[in-house]
Amino acid sequence: MVNLIGVNNQNAVNVNSVGFTAKTKEYKRSMCENKDTLMYDEGRKHPITTGLKIQGNRLANAFTKYPKKGIEGSKNANFYEFLTMGMVPYLTGSATMIAVFNLASKFFDNEAAESASTLGKKMGLGVVLYGAAKILSKKLIEKPLKFRYGIDVNLPYKKVINELPEEGNKNNLVAHEYHKAFESVDFPRWDLLYDNDSFGESRNAYFEKIGKKLGLDENDLEHADQKVKPIIKEKVIKARLFSTLSSYFWAATGVGIAMQKPWENMQFNPVKRIAALKNHKQVVKNGVNTARYTTFAEDFVKKFVKSCKEFVNGGSAGKVLLGTAVGLTLLGNFSTLFDFNKYRGSKTHASTSLIDESKEKVVC
Amino acid sequence: MANLLNSVIANQSINPQPREEMPAFTFNTNGRIKPMKDKGRLLPSRIIGSPVEYAKDLKKDIVSIGKAAKGEANDHELGRINDLAMKLGSLGLAAYLFTKNPVDLKKTMEFVGFGTFFASMALWPKLSIQAPLKARTGVDIHQRYIDSQGRKKMLYQDPQYVLTDLYSREDLDKIGKKLNVNENLPDRDNFIKQRAQKTALQGNTLWMMTAGIASPVMSALACNALEKPITAVLEKADLASTAKALESGNAGFVAQFKQKMADKAFEKFLQENSDKVMDGKLIEELASRLGKGINSPEITAVIKEELAALKPKSSTEININLEFVKAALKDKVPESALESLTEGNITAAKGSLQGIADTVAKLSGDAKPQKKSKELYTALKKAKDSKSKPTVSQVKEGIEKLHSGLSEFAGKKSILDKFIVARVGDEPNTYIANQWGRVCGKLFKLMKFNMKELKALSNGDMSAFETKLTKLAQEGNTEEYNKVVKALMDLIGDYEMKTGKGFADTVQTKSGEICSAARSTLEAKGFEKLASKISSTVEPKGTLQNQINAHTAERVNGARSSFYRLIQLLDLRKQGSDSDISKKIKDVLYNATPADYEQKLTTKVLNTTTSEYKSVMGALFGEQSGEAIKNSLGAVENGSKAAEALKGLERYKQQAKNKIANWQSNITPDLSNRILDGEAASNAAERSSLTGDSVKNLISKTAKQVYNSKKWLHIFGGTMIALTAATLIAGLVIGRKGKTEKQAEEESRRNG
Repeated sequence: MVNLIGVNNQNAVNVNSVGFTAKTKEYKRSMCENKDTLMYDEGRKHPITTGLKIQGNRLANAFTKYPKKGIEGSKNANFYEFLTMGMVPYLTGSATMIAVFNLASKFFDNEAAESASTLGKKMGLGVVLYGAAKILSKKLIEKPLKFRYGIDVNLPYKKVINELPEEGNKNNLVAHEYHKAFESVDFPRWDLLYDNDSFGESRNAYFEKIGKKLGLDENDLEHADQKVKPIIKEKVIKARLFSTLSSYFWAATGVGIAMQKPWENMQFNPVKRIAALKNHKQVVKNGVNTARYTTFAEDFVKKFVKSCKEFVNGGSAGKVLLGTAVGLTLLGNFSTLFDFNKYRGSKTHASTSLIDESKEKVVC
Repeated sequence: MANLLNSVIANQSINPQPREEMPAFTFNTNGRIKPMKDKGRLLPSRIIGSPVEYAKDLKKDIVSIGKAAKGEANDHELGRINDLAMKLGSLGLAAYLFTKNPVDLKKTMEFVGFGTFFASMALWPKLSIQAPLKARTGVDIHQRYIDSQGRKKMLYQDPQYVLTDLYSREDLDKIGKKLNVNENLPDRDNFIKQRAQKTALQGNTLWMMTAGIASPVMSALACNALEKPITAVLEKADLASTAKALESGNAGFVAQFKQKMADKAFEKFLQENSDKVMDGKLIEELASRLGKGINSPEITAVIKEELAALKPKSSTEININLEFVKAALKDKVPESALESLTEGNITAAKGSLQGIADTVAKLSGDAKPQKKSKELYTALKKAKDSKSKPTVSQVKEGIEKLHSGLSEFAGKKSILDKFIVARVGDEPNTYIANQWGRVCGKLFKLMKFNMKELKALSNGDMSAFETKLTKLAQEGNTEEYNKVVKALMDLIGDYEMKTGKGFADTVQTKSGEICSAARSTLEAKGFEKLASKISSTVEPKGTLQNQINAHTAERVNGARSSFYRLIQLLDLRKQGSDSDISKKIKDVLYNATPADYEQKLTTKVLNTTTSEYKSVMGALFGEQSGEAIKNSLGAVENGSKAAEALKGLERYKQQAKNKIANWQSNITPDLSNRILDGEAASNAAERSSLTGDSVKNLISKTAKQVYNSKKWLHIFGGTMIALTAATLIAGLVIGRKGKTEKQAEEESRRNG
């Protein structure tokens, strides 16, 4: 956004005459449009497919494009790609974990295989519940914040990267990345939130919307961005802190639940079931095994509930672990949903209070 | 943009006016205003960081959490909080699993698992990627630096933002030399920096690709390797601590605390239930609480009897009056019937419940008075019974007396139990279980079976063992034979030392002390039945004291006999005899389990002639038996493990001869002829513990375990080796000059 910088008032008038500062959409598109686009509308219309699209893209790239670039030592490789590749050890690690406890049991004798596979099953389930609990628990803090104030800490945007030409790739030089507008609390992408039609006509629509939900008075809403930005930042930091802290305790709780007795009687072999899916239509038609799938679901839920009970009633350790997770989540909810910092003023507020609010302000 | 600006400026219609000269932009700062000093620097690489640094970082992270809770942290701090949270969560999980597992080894392994996993995550890239690359190219892909704000970061984490300026002249030269960059190259520094950056990017990618497989496998392998030494350490600690506790009679702070808590909980339970009637359910609950720590269902049963027999201090004779009858029959008959009932009716019945029931039935005007009367009688009887049973508060004194009489005993008994269990308990990771594993493991290690043989052995096919045994017993292999015998006898000797006479004596003395003390306490408090069940001078059989000793001896003998059966087999093989008798003995030693030892001996041997039977028994338990073992060991030092094992063998032979060879079997009528010299037979349980487990079982069970763990090790050890090899090979390609670099170097040289 280099508009108007270094151009004095006198020149600006003249510039105006050639249409340089015409405040039209066309002007913005031609001159200053940031190619990065917020995926707010898309996410609202198709919340599931958008999420899947983003994750699918990241996942596919993490296993194919990015490692290739990395191993080749491409000069276009960047930190986003490195972080996205972090999915690889997570997933291969989980699979290996399951394999460590399950694969060898195939060669064991019945008796040993049985005891190995009991533990293996639990470990496998533990890995799955670890991941599920870690991901889902974050929603417990993020969703209420989104619902209450409209602040979506995961608000996605698509970033356009213009790559440098290099050996083997001289033409296909545009790459896309999926980021979150608030992924950096030091440099949130405020620019994407200004003048965004998705939120309304006015330039500050996004901030006004959130400002209203935060309960700002009319005067403050006039310069909602100035008021709201520090608050959003503060809430994003708090949400990040507590969702991170709590997620690992939820994950540990997930593994704890997977270690309970009821799972030992679970008659489920994922490999066989997946193999059976091939004939699923036939099975449904015959009406033979269809019940089994539902039985599995029912059985799973029942065992899950039983295991949860056993986990909680099994001793004080389970209670402490679950209590820590729940406590951290509630603390997260409390600190993000109650705006007790609004008037007291934190350091972030203090920095904004340096601005004399009685004077008019111009924001680039 | 710049072009447009230029064109705009170029098209300006206004001519620029000459400006007045501005005053020079200089003023005296007196040296006070300076640019901030750059404090960023590279940090030295270490395989293991210093604890002080960890502590400092941890402190910083905790401060960051505080800041973030106020909504003030930055990206770097949030990133570090994530790493800390991951460790905290994992510790929480390990702690949970620690409390869930009853066995010490498993508990410890939870933390070992936690530690090895994080260690593997950290060590894998260091050992397989970072170190080789640094050695070859001079580039440390995990080079860390600290920036001016004191934030520690990885130099190469963001390939688009690498602060290569932090490298010193020497560092760059070193890397340049290792990367073989031409010394005369113009712009050499930049060239080196680019190569370093590329090398780091490639190394980091390799790290991401391999870590997922490497970390869990490495961790599992480490746990597998650590299990043995940890078992040994825990076992030693357990043996020492239980011995110390038994010696001092003090179970330690934690146990005492637990006992106090349990006592408090018991008091609370009594208070909460003080109004309740002492019915079956409550007695059951009380007995299980009182019997805790004693761990004997028989004693708990007697405690129940004692509780049921408790009589309240004040008489609870039931006064059967009008009020009692009305309350008991309230819902059974119409109210009018009860109203018309008088005190006179009750007195007339002279306390007979049947009489009262008859009267009320008549008064109720029921169509079937006899049936009604029966129903009413039942209701009255029930009311009387429930009233005649005392409430908890009525017999509280008695319960407390029983509790005080038992609690010290329970505490001491549990100390003794722990002492016994740590040595010969029927649990995993006790001394007996570990030693069993060591004896069998040693045998297998020395016999060197391959996977195919192990598989066959685990399925009960003994041919591989038989072949090896035959080979071992041959003349030429004496040295190897001696090695096996020595190794096994040393381990058995250790077993004899720890579970032999000294151990039995300790258990006997202590159980005697504890039980007779409990007996006199309980007798003094008036609980004779319970006292005599715990210990008795008149009828010691069936007392708890006796049970403790008998059970301990049974456990000791079970494993010991199995060991000596194996030794007998080795002995007989070396003594070498291919006679029919020898084959029959072999069959018995191999196959007979405690359950069918007698039957096997009968069908295989007893149905032969008396002389044959005697020679079989003689070979097994006679003078000649064990000669080869003695010869093999040679002169043994008195008091050594081998000497103890030899003594044990002699004792075993004697016991077995008396109790196995001389049993009274009803299958052969002329048994008296076949009995060897010595004592007569003993009971079946004792005999069975003296027979021990069959060699076949011992071998096949061990084979299964060895096979499984070897198979597991093959799969994951193989995976690890393959992965390490692949990573190292890939590492050789990394950092090499690519086509582009070669061209650039060439071009640069030409231009230069």
